[in-house]
Amino acid sequence: MANAPTFLPGMPAFIRHAGSKCRLASLISGAALLFLAALAITSPARAAGDGVLAVIYPDIGEPYRGIFEKIIEGIEDKAGATGANYPVSDDTDIAGLKDSLRHQNVGVVIALGRQGMKTAMALGDGIKVVVGGVLTVPENEAPEIPVISLSPDPALLFARMKALKPGTKRVFVVYNPSFNGWLIKLAKDAASVQGLELVAYEARDLRSAVRYYEEIFAAAEGRSDVLWLPQDPTTVEENSILPLVLQKSWNQSIAVFSSNVSHVRRGVLFSLYPDNAGLGRSLAGLAQGILVSGEYGKRGMMPLRDVQSAGNLRTAKHLGISQQSFDMTLPEQ
Amino acid sequence: MKISIEHLLAVLLTAMWAAGAYAASQSEEEELALAYGDKSFVTIASGSQQPIARAPSVATVITAEDIKAIGAADLDEVLETVPGLHVARSPLGYNPIYTIRGISTQYNPQVLMLVNGIPITGVYVGDRSQIWAGMPVENVARIEVIRGPGSALYGADAFSGVINIITKTAADIDGTQLGLRAGSFNSRDAWVQHGGTWGSFDAAAYLRVGHTDGQHQIIAADAVTPTPFPSLAPGPVNLGYDAIDGRIDLARDKWRLRAGYQQRSNAKTGAGVASALDPKGSNFGERISTDLTYQDTNFAPDLDVTVQASYFYITEQSDLTLYPPGYAGFPDGVVGNPYKWERHLRFNLSAAYTGLQQHKLRFGAGTQNDDLYRIRDTNNYTLPPLGTVQDVTDIAPFIRPHSRRVNYVYAQDEWAFIRDWYLTAGVRQDHYSDFGNTVNPRLALVWETAYDLTSKLLYGRAFRPPSFAELYNINNPVALGNPNLKPETNESVELAFAWQATSSLQANLNLFRYQMKDILRFVQNPDTSYTAQNAGRQHGQGMEVELVWDAAANLRLSGNYAQQHSIDETTSQDAGNAPRHHVYARADWRFVPHWILNTQLNYVADRKREPSDTRPPVADYHTVDLTLRSKNQNSDWAVAFKVLNLFNADAREPSPSPGLIPNDLPLAPREWRFELSHQL
Repeated sequence: MANAPTFLPGMPAFIRHAGSKCRLASLISGAALLFLAALAITSPARAAGDGVLAVIYPDIGEPYRGIFEKIIEGIEDKAGATGANYPVSDDTDIAGLKDSLRHQNVGVVIALGRQGMKTAMALGDGIKVVVGGVLTVPENEAPEIPVISLSPDPALLFARMKALKPGTKRVFVVYNPSFNGWLIKLAKDAASVQGLELVAYEARDLRSAVRYYEEIFAAAEGRSDVLWLPQDPTTVEENSILPLVLQKSWNQSIAVFSSNVSHVRRGVLFSLYPDNAGLGRSLAGLAQGILVSGEYGKRGMMPLRDVQSAGNLRTAKHLGISQQSFDMTLPEQ
Repeated sequence: MKISIEHLLAVLLTAMWAAGAYAASQSEEEELALAYGDKSFVTIASGSQQPIARAPSVATVITAEDIKAIGAADLDEVLETVPGLHVARSPLGYNPIYTIRGISTQYNPQVLMLVNGIPITGVYVGDRSQIWAGMPVENVARIEVIRGPGSALYGADAFSGVINIITKTAADIDGTQLGLRAGSFNSRDAWVQHGGTWGSFDAAAYLRVGHTDGQHQIIAADAVTPTPFPSLAPGPVNLGYDAIDGRIDLARDKWRLRAGYQQRSNAKTGAGVASALDPKGSNFGERISTDLTYQDTNFAPDLDVTVQASYFYITEQSDLTLYPPGYAGFPDGVVGNPYKWERHLRFNLSAAYTGLQQHKLRFGAGTQNDDLYRIRDTNNYTLPPLGTVQDVTDIAPFIRPHSRRVNYVYAQDEWAFIRDWYLTAGVRQDHYSDFGNTVNPRLALVWETAYDLTSKLLYGRAFRPPSFAELYNINNPVALGNPNLKPETNESVELAFAWQATSSLQANLNLFRYQMKDILRFVQNPDTSYTAQNAGRQHGQGMEVELVWDAAANLRLSGNYAQQHSIDETTSQDAGNAPRHHVYARADWRFVPHWILNTQLNYVADRKREPSDTRPPVADYHTVDLTLRSKNQNSDWAVAFKVLNLFNADAREPSPSPGLIPNDLPLAPREWRFELSHQL
């Protein structure tokens, strides 16, 4: 498999490659690269299965940058060193980047984050793309490419919920179809496989979401019903809906789990959050498959299956749940 | 004019570019926040270690990220931010006095300081060494400060509070970091730290060397000024020192071996050991610590067992001119050179059992040996002819070598007796070979009142054993020991509320009362000498309010207000020296990507004098600090620029009663600091 890195002595100034900082070296190497790129353009196209991987990720500040670095570690763990890792922004010179990728014989780009995906989409048809580090992608934006979402697989969420509370029968969720339509389809299947009933309310605005939550709390029963909060800025709005949900669920002893790990600190029972290195390995696995076959295999949105768990011990105690095995526990004291 | 317009245009374009890039990264961050949580949460979640909930208490946790944000170079800058804690100064080397909830004494043995859970207490006066000269914080992963008595778990000196400093492990450092710092008063620091693997070990190492001349604020009058003898006042305080700090941490499987080294040399004398300026005086101190820890979290089902052996060595070597040349027939001044060496051995076993449905049990036992094993005393005032420095170690030293053995057992249970109600009861017995037994209980009732509110009612009792100086000092007429002492005690009741008011606003309120008994003091005898006695009582009450508000995605405001009122029961007057009001406010503003501006305001107010001190109260002060910090993630270089006491406030800490230094101890004027670090 030809995925060994093809490092160049430097990078042009338009791409800030980690570790390449000297402006003079960048200028010289940039000129050399343009020359080599011109040679590459005039060379015959390379055959499928002959390329290397490259990673494009957002040029973003800490602490989120560290997340992408962990994902890249996972990619390199699975695939060996990549051709190059490119931090990108709106200012990135797409043509220059494309030339650089071609020159390095990059067959598949792993695009991380919203900015990484946007840049990769602008590269055109010549280079195949695998996307990770985004929540969801509207179908018209990224047709026919594999995307591993940051949304944890509902099957894993439901299994964890049942393990914590074996008497669980119904899972309520309020979702906005434009964000999570794809996920709810998967969730319905996952629920029925695990003997659960998914009661899903579709809400496109805050007001209807509030109404549905009130309906849910009027009908829900602590022993058998639980509530799922998906990653959704409309139906799980932080300042109005979340406090309402937390208060009512606490008073009625209804377990709430969330796809947003920071909600564990606020008081939901548990959440699953990305195992960044594991996600990197999965993305690398997909990309390697494409390199070998020259074709996309799986396409479209895939839920996150590389997860870690976070639990709120205070809420677990309140709900009478003694099983407390989580990768991370809150509150801290 | 043309140049100006071009310049202005360039600035505007740069600002617009920065704002555009910032907006773009904001939307990316908003999406990531839905999966990973907001910035503060990502920082918590990526920490390698969670604080261990050992007992319900009122506690503050300060992370390495917080330390970096405020541009702190020394532990004391960090501790001043803790609600209810104010760092005052002693004339002796300007050593810190951690005044917690109104309890303030010159040697400050009422605060227990731990490094990785192990005391760094010296046995001579019960403090953290009289040759302190600061503690750097680059290698600190986290600081936990517990206010209130904690002797039921921590034993001796967990009296007004406990400060536990957790150092960085290999995972915390993760790579190699080099750093340089320079600032006012010729202050220079360089450090390197590395975290990685070494064979099958997780290995971390840290080394720092530093120097400062110290600030030179003027002491207008000192203890010699009112006498007929020549005084060095007015003159500057003397705060220079050279420092070396090193630390090693090796871990494999269930074992961890740590070692630490701190050396302070050429450490100057502050405002003078005898409250008389001593520019010639110099101190040398060394502290060496090592511990071997075995922890098996699954020793047996539901049983977590920890075994730890530790060793701690301190030496303090002072060459002092207590009073200046020409004083009372001493042409070279009154010279005293006390040296002492201590070693402490500790062994303990602790276990936590969670196998019972509604109970969490914690129990432990241990033994320690505190040994002041060697002293050396040369001076020119004990033996005739006076004025000639002679070795009096064997004839008339200030103390002779002594040691004590301490054995202890403790047990604690957390009982979930009704839903959302938890009662924690703990008790510890310590047996001291010199004064006998002391038993200290703790009770905590915790009520998870609502989804966003936790209420705690806490009771605790603490003790502070008499130090060797208080037990065994000889030949020092102003501080004679008394072997018949018992520990001083503190009992306190606290009511604490933690309220997550909104997703972006956290508020805490703590109310407390305390009662100190059998306070250890040097009391005047019928002649002019003083002997240590259990004499006096003190009580106090107060409150602390804390707020943390994420006002915007790029702006966090936080702060606290602490109020206390402490009374010396002998005189019914204020116990003195501690601020009745203390306000700390902080803003962290990420105004453009990768640049953070931190502003701190510290207001210290209403400090009464000790009852025997007739001076007017100490003047209030407020200081403002600014820190500008960047992390250029593309280059692994980080820079920070800090201005302390921006408005050059005349800030002073009280000199002790009766006011031998009448105008108190001036703190540093405006100073600056620049820091550069590189991650390899």
